[in-house]
Amino acid sequence: MSRLTALWQKETLALLRDRHGLAALFLMPVIFILVMTMALHDAFMPGAAIDVGYAIVDLDGSPHSESLIRRLNKAGSFRHVANVDNPEAARQAIRDGRYALVLVLPKGFGERLLTPAGVDGQPTEPLSLFVDPTLNPALQLAFRTQTSAALGTLRADELTRKAGKLFGLPVSANAPDRDWPDEIVSIAVQNDRSIRPPSSVQQNVPAWLVFAMFFVVIPISAILIVERQQGTLQRLASLGLPFRMVLLGKLLPFFIVNQIQAVLMVGVGMFIVPIFGGEALVMPQGIGLLHWWLVAAAVSLAAVACALLVASLAKTTQQATIIGGVGNILMGAVGGIMVPKFMMPAAMQTLAEFSPMAWGLQGFHTVMLRHGGFVAILPSLLPLLAFAAATLAAAIWLNHRQSA
Amino acid sequence: MLHIDGVSFRYRGAATAALDGVALDIPTGSVYGLLGPNGAGKTTLISILAGLQSATSGQITLNGIPLAEARSADPRAIALVPQDYAFYPMLTVAENLHFFGGVLGLQKTELRSQIEAAIAFARLEQVVGKSAEQLSGGLRRRLNLAIGLLGRPKLLLLDEPTVGVDPQSRHFLLDSVAGLPANGTTVIYTSHYMEEVEAICQRVAIVDHGKVLAEGPLDALLRCDESVVELELNAELPPNLITRHETIVEGAMKYRLKLASAAALPRLLDDLAGAGCAVQQLKVGRENLEHLFMRLTKRSLRD
Repeated sequence: MSRLTALWQKETLALLRDRHGLAALFLMPVIFILVMTMALHDAFMPGAAIDVGYAIVDLDGSPHSESLIRRLNKAGSFRHVANVDNPEAARQAIRDGRYALVLVLPKGFGERLLTPAGVDGQPTEPLSLFVDPTLNPALQLAFRTQTSAALGTLRADELTRKAGKLFGLPVSANAPDRDWPDEIVSIAVQNDRSIRPPSSVQQNVPAWLVFAMFFVVIPISAILIVERQQGTLQRLASLGLPFRMVLLGKLLPFFIVNQIQAVLMVGVGMFIVPIFGGEALVMPQGIGLLHWWLVAAAVSLAAVACALLVASLAKTTQQATIIGGVGNILMGAVGGIMVPKFMMPAAMQTLAEFSPMAWGLQGFHTVMLRHGGFVAILPSLLPLLAFAAATLAAAIWLNHRQSA
Repeated sequence: MLHIDGVSFRYRGAATAALDGVALDIPTGSVYGLLGPNGAGKTTLISILAGLQSATSGQITLNGIPLAEARSADPRAIALVPQDYAFYPMLTVAENLHFFGGVLGLQKTELRSQIEAAIAFARLEQVVGKSAEQLSGGLRRRLNLAIGLLGRPKLLLLDEPTVGVDPQSRHFLLDSVAGLPANGTTVIYTSHYMEEVEAICQRVAIVDHGKVLAEGPLDALLRCDESVVELELNAELPPNLITRHETIVEGAMKYRLKLASAAALPRLLDDLAGAGCAVQQLKVGRENLEHLFMRLTKRSLRD
């Protein structure tokens, strides 16, 4: 036991003096969590206002065009920022970057609302949407859809009003602005009770925690490569210390480092993110907390074993930093750390299934968002543990081969 | 007594054996020199003795017990001081000693007393709190040696322990190593530096291409025909004496002469005195290690 204690003490001292390693393990993920949680704050809020403004050119000036404008304003997702007199001024405003969207309501819009071909047999001039070409196409589509929806309700109301008149039914005075209970509320489906869908902080804290855990590759490889290059591993072997004990001496300290990372990242999510205006992280309670820790432990074992394999493959610290750093960024990009998996196209979502980071993130989401139990997290735990065992075995085999 | 009998070893995929039937007897309580050029097989032999490699064939016993058993019975019996600085640069001198002592299984009081002894032996008192990466080359060598002494090994394997150190530290290290047998430690010492081996080793083995070319007490190995004379003069050797004797110029005013017989020595000395050449140093019937090595291997030790 004194041998293991000596190994643990040595690893701890070496890590405490590795400023770059400490920054990669603790500072980097904290910054990522804060920045990404703030940046993606609205992306995870259903119905949140979109920070894009639109202007309107009302060439008709009829009660119907004004009603459409009011309906668009009520929808609230896009901000109505101005009215513009004519289409040319609107084009210039978009070129100047003042507006991203301008809706032009043509003359005769109200008159031809229910008679598209017109009473005179002439085709109706369509509504025009001027767009800034740099605007996200999804937002362009969203505004078109919102306008179509408002137009649809306006036509329906007008039709109802005219039909009512025809059949002598009572008609309310404010018919053009009638509200329909058409708001759609998102409800997340979970095992025990229903809460709102995940917030930005609930997505980002586990994601960047998984990413940070895998960054133990930097300090682990820094120490192991120095040990190999300087003949320290040989010296330890000559003292009768088996290589598996050298690895065991690294597993526990870095497992504990991963647990400290977990506590720190959760603390940032719960207490620091709200200071910056974000939502506080909600952690599972009771047995859920144990399940959460099981996922964290499995991610940690996979991360440390993977780091030992990278350190065994690399000849120099620079190589390890490149292989480990770039490998982690790729695993993170593919595994839904940087771009959430649900935002990826189907092919990329399939590819994400091959990233150990995705397995870990999936496990955290199962516990935190779906309140899944032990059986529910097994599909995440088993591949992580298998990955840990395989990479550890490969690291041991490589080191035996190199020393033979 | 370390008894090495017919030990052979071949690296995987190598065309020739790194060691080929090596047989040596290394007496307890001595400093034993292992000489050979790069690739001769010295480090391979050291690795086998340190338990890092297993011999393909042959036997090694320590005081009559097979080496592997002796190591299992007492893991601290054999210690290796590699040529590299095999410690942790980010840890202090004290932390390095504490770590390696811990790996050896030393506990509390024993660990403390052995660390203190190693620090005193290597005279590291002034740098105990310094990180190893801040030490000079000489101090790093001393730390490397001090770590090897933890656990009080019976057999200490020193692989080129003075490479890259200043003359003062080299002198200190040689004195320290020469004193180890008095404390009950047998030392196997490999080096490129002939003068180091001549200065501290009682017995020497010369190896090349995995074979032992010569082995025995240093005096016996260096003893040669008494008609061979080594001279160091205060002036150039007169041309008539060069032509009269078979002469090799070994350096500035340093000569090696093969006389017709040992009886020709008095006349040579008279001739030198007559020519006004004062003799600074005279060796008769003894060649130096460099010559012995070149004669046996047909190449320089530093090749």
